Amino acid sequence: MIFHIYTLIVYMHHYRLSAFRISSIFLFTAFFLFFGNFSMAQDGKALFQSDCASCHNPIKQVTGPALKGVTARVPDQKLLHAWIRNNAAVLASGNKYFNDLYIQFGKTPMNTFPQLTDPEIDAILKYIETYPEPGPGAKGPNNGPSSQVEESDNSLLYGILTLILAVIMLVLLQVNSNLKKLSDDKSGVPSSEPIPFYRNKVYITFLVLVLFVVGGYYVVQAAIGLGRQQNYQPEQPIFFSHKVHPGTNQISCLYCHGGAWDSKMAGVPSLNVCMNCHAAINDYKGEPLYRENGKEVDGTGEIQKLYSYTGYDPKSGKYTEPGKQIVWIKIHNLPDHVYFNHSQHIRAGKVQCQTCHGNITQMNEVKQFAELSMGWCINCHRTTKINFPDSAGNGNKFYSIYERFHQNLATGAMDSVTVENIGGTECQKCHY
Amino acid sequence: MNVAMQILKKIIPFCLFGVLLVSCSDEVRRDTGRIYMPDMAYSRAFETYAMTPEEKDALLKKGIHFSNTPVAGTMKRGVLFPFDIPQDAAGDTANYVASKAVKNPIAFMDTAQIVEAQRLYLVNCGICHGTKLDGNGPLYRGGDGPFPAKPATLVGDKKYETMPEGQMYYSVTYGKNKMGSYASQLNTQQRWMVIAYIKAKQEASKPVAATADSTIKK
Repeated sequence: MIFHIYTLIVYMHHYRLSAFRISSIFLFTAFFLFFGNFSMAQDGKALFQSDCASCHNPIKQVTGPALKGVTARVPDQKLLHAWIRNNAAVLASGNKYFNDLYIQFGKTPMNTFPQLTDPEIDAILKYIETYPEPGPGAKGPNNGPSSQVEESDNSLLYGILTLILAVIMLVLLQVNSNLKKLSDDKSGVPSSEPIPFYRNKVYITFLVLVLFVVGGYYVVQAAIGLGRQQNYQPEQPIFFSHKVHPGTNQISCLYCHGGAWDSKMAGVPSLNVCMNCHAAINDYKGEPLYRENGKEVDGTGEIQKLYSYTGYDPKSGKYTEPGKQIVWIKIHNLPDHVYFNHSQHIRAGKVQCQTCHGNITQMNEVKQFAELSMGWCINCHRTTKINFPDSAGNGNKFYSIYERFHQNLATGAMDSVTVENIGGTECQKCHY
Repeated sequence: MNVAMQILKKIIPFCLFGVLLVSCSDEVRRDTGRIYMPDMAYSRAFETYAMTPEEKDALLKKGIHFSNTPVAGTMKRGVLFPFDIPQDAAGDTANYVASKAVKNPIAFMDTAQIVEAQRLYLVNCGICHGTKLDGNGPLYRGGDGPFPAKPATLVGDKKYETMPEGQMYYSVTYGKNKMGSYASQLNTQQRWMVIAYIKAKQEASKPVAATADSTIKK
């Protein structure tokens, strides 16, 4: 019996194994059939990207012409293949269409691709011709500005609550005085003449007190706020979105504001820096953009504004008119009697841009995040620890001259060195 | 009823006052506000590049002549000698070809310089050419990004691996195809450092060969 079961198990095991083998072979073939085709279809894209895409785009003129529709423009397949493999030979043969094209594109020579086979060229052409046309409905889902407007603002709620409580208090006070009057009448106590509320000393005192506190608060706030511009968010001549540039497209802050690394000023980039990318990128296809007032912004139109300033013609790819200056509005203004240096903070101090400028990658329109008041500066200088070299020698070597602090750190009298310790709150550090 | 009306009349002024306070909520701030001492806050000096041409013209009319930009061709002390090959005229490639002969004046970079070169590459070049130098930076994203042309594959493409450093320098200085000139963002030394970094990366990606000599020379 036991032996019998054993053989059965072995038999089943064997059977299962073979079944697995058959199915795996079947799957394997299917896989090959499927992905064999798949890789053939992908060839065109891969070949296009490795050989052509640095100068051509299917639907856009880049260094060379937009390629979609090329098979209709050059119906002779043999000629097209010959052109792609060795354009110099076709030009030398005197073909009018290609010679005209060559002159039209400023005699920029096309690379030769003698290694491409016929099926490869056909795959590339197929990829180009099946490339999706840019449709008018290419914009993302219209979420509308409603999502931006709805912000939780508790101050209104608290105001209403305070009002209700104040009303209840007044009602109760009135009820109390009326009841007192009634009970006085009943018990025969001669009640005094009722005083109108505007001559009631309690009310007047209360009102004066409230006015003094509230008025005083606003006066003090306004006096402190003189010359401070927190939340200042001017409308710029071009709707340049920091959410799109350093946010979605991950451009480093220093790409445009390179001065922050080397000098006092972060600087606003000159127009040639914009044109490094925008000579080629001439439309906006990302998520819809909104101004602070909820109005939608036409991203492509804003890029056109840039071209009107630079005098660039995106169709021909040339600068046809003299450039003009864009007068950007400066947001972060420090008074002239304060010295501030960007490179000192970000290079030596290793402070992140966002520490003072807020979550800049989420701002479509930049606003001043920090208060930029003296108290704000001092607070940071008091709490920020400097990159003091430890016993192993890691850290900023410049601070090795502070011998006393090294001793204190060694004995445990200090646990860290802040900016204040090295003179970061001295008047002359920033005012001189 | 009469009493209630009376009470209501007394309360209304308070209500109005409260509503007034609450309605002063925050809006988009488009103005700079007021300044306590304007003559201390606003600079009397003209800061570099802070003037528009119109402002300069206005000063010129008053007879004030000055220049806040250096004379063309001015060189900073201690920088590398400039690249003396001019830019090609449109449709000409003579200078582009001639630039092949120019050698990189930076023959060796120490660790700190390599770190700096990498930083410069990542800030200025990585956005298109990719952090891995594969020509697939965030602006291209395999064809899905906003940049319509494929940036050069710096590591893995024979064309760029065999390209002489002088020619790379020409392209970085004057721009090539859809790449703009980086002469305003990177100085002479920084441009050569970035090219040395790219060459070192290309060298490092080569299979086996000379791994024993790990010091990065170029």
